[in-house]
Amino acid sequence: MDLAVQTFGITKRFGNFTAVDHLNLKVGHEVFGLLGPNGAGKTTLQRMLVTVMAPTEGTATVAGADIVHEADKVRERIGVVTQASTLDVELTALQNMNLYGMYYGIPRKERQEKIKELLKVVGLADRAKIRVAGYSGGMKRRLEIVRALVSDPQILFLDEPTTGLDPQARAAVLEYVQRIHEDHGITLVITTHYLDEAENLCDRLAIVDHGKVVAEGTPIELKRKISGGDIVEADLSVLPEKALKALENADYVLGVKKRDGGLTILAKNGAEAVPKIVSLIDSNGGKLRTIALRELTLDDVFLEVTGRSLRE
Amino acid sequence: MKGALAVSLRDIQKFLGQPVLMVSTIVGPFLTLILLGSAFGGAITHAPIAIVQESYGPYSSNFIRILRNDQTCQFGGIDCQNSFQLRDVPVLDTAQEMLHAGLVKAIVYLPLGFDDALAANSKVTITVTLDNTDPLSAAAIGPEVSQAGQQLSSLVQTSSPDSSNNSSMTFDLEDAYRNVFYIEFMAPGSLIQSIMFVSIIAGGVQLVVDKERGIIEGYLVTPLKKYEIVLGVLLSGVFKALFSAVAVFILAVAVAGVRPMSIFPNPNATQIIMTMFTLFLTSLGLIAMMTAYAVRSTSADLYRVTCFPINLILYYTSGAIYPLNGMPAWMQDVSVINPETYAVDALRLLMYKDAGLPAVIGDFIFLSIFSGLMLALAIVAFRRGI
Repeated sequence: MDLAVQTFGITKRFGNFTAVDHLNLKVGHEVFGLLGPNGAGKTTLQRMLVTVMAPTEGTATVAGADIVHEADKVRERIGVVTQASTLDVELTALQNMNLYGMYYGIPRKERQEKIKELLKVVGLADRAKIRVAGYSGGMKRRLEIVRALVSDPQILFLDEPTTGLDPQARAAVLEYVQRIHEDHGITLVITTHYLDEAENLCDRLAIVDHGKVVAEGTPIELKRKISGGDIVEADLSVLPEKALKALENADYVLGVKKRDGGLTILAKNGAEAVPKIVSLIDSNGGKLRTIALRELTLDDVFLEVTGRSLRE
Repeated sequence: MKGALAVSLRDIQKFLGQPVLMVSTIVGPFLTLILLGSAFGGAITHAPIAIVQESYGPYSSNFIRILRNDQTCQFGGIDCQNSFQLRDVPVLDTAQEMLHAGLVKAIVYLPLGFDDALAANSKVTITVTLDNTDPLSAAAIGPEVSQAGQQLSSLVQTSSPDSSNNSSMTFDLEDAYRNVFYIEFMAPGSLIQSIMFVSIIAGGVQLVVDKERGIIEGYLVTPLKKYEIVLGVLLSGVFKALFSAVAVFILAVAVAGVRPMSIFPNPNATQIIMTMFTLFLTSLGLIAMMTAYAVRSTSADLYRVTCFPINLILYYTSGAIYPLNGMPAWMQDVSVINPETYAVDALRLLMYKDAGLPAVIGDFIFLSIFSGLMLALAIVAFRRGI
């Protein structure tokens, strides 16, 4: 398979701290998500892939070029949207886009047509001539994303594209990102710590923790990895030790995790297990407040592979 | 009231937490005191003067000896040692060329028959031609030469055996140029100041701010080469500096009454072009210097604070506001390596002395070497610093 990104034991150390640790990853022509908590090493990994930071060890190919020895080629073939905005807010959207196109040496006519088309895609065409300083956070983000598309990149890297946006602006940005992938066939590499974003947007995901990939696959594959079961959330006002023991030993229960105010139970078959769990808790002196069956989320996967919740 | 105390406590705590800012509030004014005080406080000494001697005899050699010797003088209430740096020039024409090129500040002309006339009880006239484009030097040199003449006169009187020598000496102080006002003398320095200000605020510091804001990363992920980024920054800096310097030039002419000979009465295209070239070289050099410095600065705050004293030192030791001859030795030493010295010199020659290329070529060479070095430094600094 022709890969968009492949890393070969890529490593980045800052003094004694290893931010990215012999990480191996393959990304096809897809929407790929790098999921992990803050400080997991995903931004460092991305900065190495976009050639602004050299790896301490190992290397990677991006869009068919080596990030260490062919950094120039990599830069020509990718687009990058960094976490911190790099827009010139004193300039208009048009000026921002135009300059970016000039950095890539795109001829004037082609550049102008491209910019017009792209600004339309993200609904900024009618505000192209006002200064970016007057834009909302969501508009700025959208502009930044299409700016990175001026050069017709093969791969677009997005670092936390929706951080700091309100839910409405987030939805709009995600919608445009989705459309860009569908219309332009561009490979997207997105780092995020939003689970819903990763789940809805990404074809495949890698969960990164402590500089390593701890799980990889499609959202469904990842969920399957820990299940064959359903999640039952039980809130209890009284939870005797023997009730917990009984649950752990029940053959229809795959796993039990204690949490604040209750239990998260992984059951073989949710619909059948719920009444059994209710009677088991009751007979062991526990007092149940609510019990509910819910679908498995990526957070459950995350909890399983890293031992901590992303939402914390 | 408690609220006001809390607010002021917050400000003071923040202020104390930034020692660099604190130091700057002390260093700036103190440096100004030292630099300005030293510059304006000193008399103009060791001014270079051309002696054109066509008469040889006891009187003329005595006169020159008096001029050469250190003598006590009074200058604005300050006692000082004064003497001239004399250059013997055989021909008046050569001396005049030297005056035009700024190599000497005045010409003292002892005409043929000077000694004979004094011996024969007649009147003699000594012509002193002053470079009045440096009004402060001219104002100091004239009276000092006259004073030396008075000493010679009394020497002549007392040395006559019968005390009947009625010879008298008159001094013809003539200005080499039309009257040049102090504000005109200062104007070239102001043009250079505008370039320096642009270098400080609009050159490299934008890179530092961009670096802190993460905008540089926006450049680095594009195919732009690092040298392209630094050259682009310098190019725009030079453009901005030239714009600013030309604007100050126009204001100086239109509002401040500065009358450059390159424009009045007849505009001289060559001189205007050379003036622009001086401004261009100076802009390139200073912008590159401040960019190199900014890129290597650890923070934008530190950069801003340290720029103030750098600017003061360069400006005050450039001779922009006071002739270099009046400054203490250490300031003169700094002025030799100060690019602004050469820029101010070239501008004065072009603006007030009707100078051609030969007079300013030395300044151009220095400024070119300086700009080249700073350009290289900026590129190296950028490679390492960003």
